[in-house]
Amino acid sequence: MADITQATPGLLNRNGASANLAIVAGVELGSAILLRAFLLSDETAVIVALLALMGAIFAALQLRPVLEERIVAAFHDRKRFATLLGIVIVLACPFFLQGSGYAFHLLIVSMLYAVLALALNFQLGSANIPNFATGASYGIGAYTSALLALNFGVSFWLTLPVAAVVATAFGFLLGFPSMRTKESYLALVTIAFGIVAHQLLNNFDWTGGPNGLVGIPAPELFGHSFARPIEAFGFRLPSQANFYYLSAALVGLSIVSAKRLHESRVGLAWNALRADPLAARCQGIDVVWYKMLAFGVDAFLAAFAGTIYAFYVSYISPDNFTFLVSVTIMTMVIVGGMDNTLGVIIGAFFLTMLPEKLRIFSDYRLLFVGVVVILFLILRPQGLFPQRARNYGGKR
Amino acid sequence: MTPLLEVRGLTIRFGGLVAVSEVDLALNPSEVLCIIGPNGAGKSTLFNMISGIYRPSAGTVHLDGRDITGWPAHRIAAAGVARTFQSSRLFNDLTLIDNVVIGMHTRTKSGVLDALLRPRRARAELEAAAEKAGELIRAISPDLHARRNTLAGALPQADRRRLEIARALASEPRVIMLDEPSSGMDDRDTDALMADVRRVMAERPGLSFLIIEHDMRLVAALPDRVAVIDYGRKIAEGDFAEVRLMPRVQEAYLGHKAAEHA
Repeated sequence: MADITQATPGLLNRNGASANLAIVAGVELGSAILLRAFLLSDETAVIVALLALMGAIFAALQLRPVLEERIVAAFHDRKRFATLLGIVIVLACPFFLQGSGYAFHLLIVSMLYAVLALALNFQLGSANIPNFATGASYGIGAYTSALLALNFGVSFWLTLPVAAVVATAFGFLLGFPSMRTKESYLALVTIAFGIVAHQLLNNFDWTGGPNGLVGIPAPELFGHSFARPIEAFGFRLPSQANFYYLSAALVGLSIVSAKRLHESRVGLAWNALRADPLAARCQGIDVVWYKMLAFGVDAFLAAFAGTIYAFYVSYISPDNFTFLVSVTIMTMVIVGGMDNTLGVIIGAFFLTMLPEKLRIFSDYRLLFVGVVVILFLILRPQGLFPQRARNYGGKR
Repeated sequence: MTPLLEVRGLTIRFGGLVAVSEVDLALNPSEVLCIIGPNGAGKSTLFNMISGIYRPSAGTVHLDGRDITGWPAHRIAAAGVARTFQSSRLFNDLTLIDNVVIGMHTRTKSGVLDALLRPRRARAELEAAAEKAGELIRAISPDLHARRNTLAGALPQADRRRLEIARALASEPRVIMLDEPSSGMDDRDTDALMADVRRVMAERPGLSFLIIEHDMRLVAALPDRVAVIDYGRKIAEGDFAEVRLMPRVQEAYLGHKAAEHA
């Protein structure tokens, strides 16, 4: 690709540029239309057909790496356009959902899980730290903000940072014993932490015990309550649209954070830790500190997601934050592609919507997830979208 | 003159086994010291103690007069001791450039908050580091430089060692420790390696090398001095031409009987 454009600048270059535009627009709009069709269809046959189509697309990408490279090159070339179009699609999406509350709900939950998966990706993807306690950080965030709102009437916007700070403190606390342990032992420590957090939430009186916390008030912004529908451009969007935009903003924030950290000295240090901890130490990397940092960043983002979740459903109980939630988040990262932001998000959407859409299999949900994960590990062990090398000195 | 790196009475015991016992070494600025000895003599263990991977049971390590004994490995690296490994340990799933940029970890500053809140500055720092890394790789080998954006895991053995040296240089160290740099290299690669070491030393006054080596061609040609380790003890030290004639050294290498006939 690059060779051709260098050899014959001018006409071919211009053609290539517009071709890139078309590819970017086609991929983004195509994905959006596919997602919409998937969200709004409720007949099993249609759903299975759409799944088969997605499978075929991925098979094509797998068998023809050139296609994938071409698409990646197009996105790389038209970065700004791709970002803008993506934002427009996300903003416009609610107007095309026929006011279906269920579709909104699925999208919101998917986005929250995308944030959780991105949070875990800092550890599992970047630094290969198997943290099974992301669900616990998610819960700590949700409970902190819910308790603040219920007991002290603190506004949603203020609970967001407070919950994040509290969860981060717990994250560091978890990182502290973890720094002495390695690999599988570290995984065990995080599993224990997740279970302890769940049990404590279940047994304390002030957390409402197994009944959880009820009646968390809806957030308000400039006098607009998030419990009320949005009226815009002659459209009337259901009240979930408020949380849709809020979650989308959080996903955006997470993507920007992930990108900035990945393309920094910190991301490199985490990658070094993942590849060879001993060699990393000998390059002057404080392994303990960087591990704890990864725990902290993970907890920080997870708490944001937890806060939004608590205010969105207005009711939380310990069962929303079990060990199983952590395992699901981990699966999303592995299936989506370690250390690849887009892959992790798609993994989260895929694994959130799939069990919901395949209601007929719902009793076998876990079995199904297990089969999907095993298939992925065999067919595409690097995940849907594997990690890509950093670019230096290129366009930003 | 105070030595750059001074090891005194360095000892480590694993349970009842004394792997290294009372070793003294002194490395002067702009000097190459080779450590030789039979397999299992404790040479790599000695390196692991100096670089902070193992904590010595007794003895001290001083760098430029400062006591660095028992410091964690990352602080010793930051203090100016870089090293390579016997089985080269590159970051295989990262590009050559990334590998060398990681080597500059102690010479760069951006933390999480810089990366998140001042991305321009963090990015600029990394770009500058990448630029410098490219130069370091180019100086070692133009071939490697051409492959700088490929993954380190795909490199052949000789190139892996050269990249490790580039990565060690990236931290602007005072001392570089090479653990069997010529293993897996043919004569031509070994010559290139020696040329690299000499060039690097000429460009960086004061930089010293501590090298574990088995290839006698290199040991005869490159170092200023040679120290011989056997069963965890230093049994000889000095000019290679003299050391090789010492009966104790010949015994260590050839066995007692053979040494009598040598």
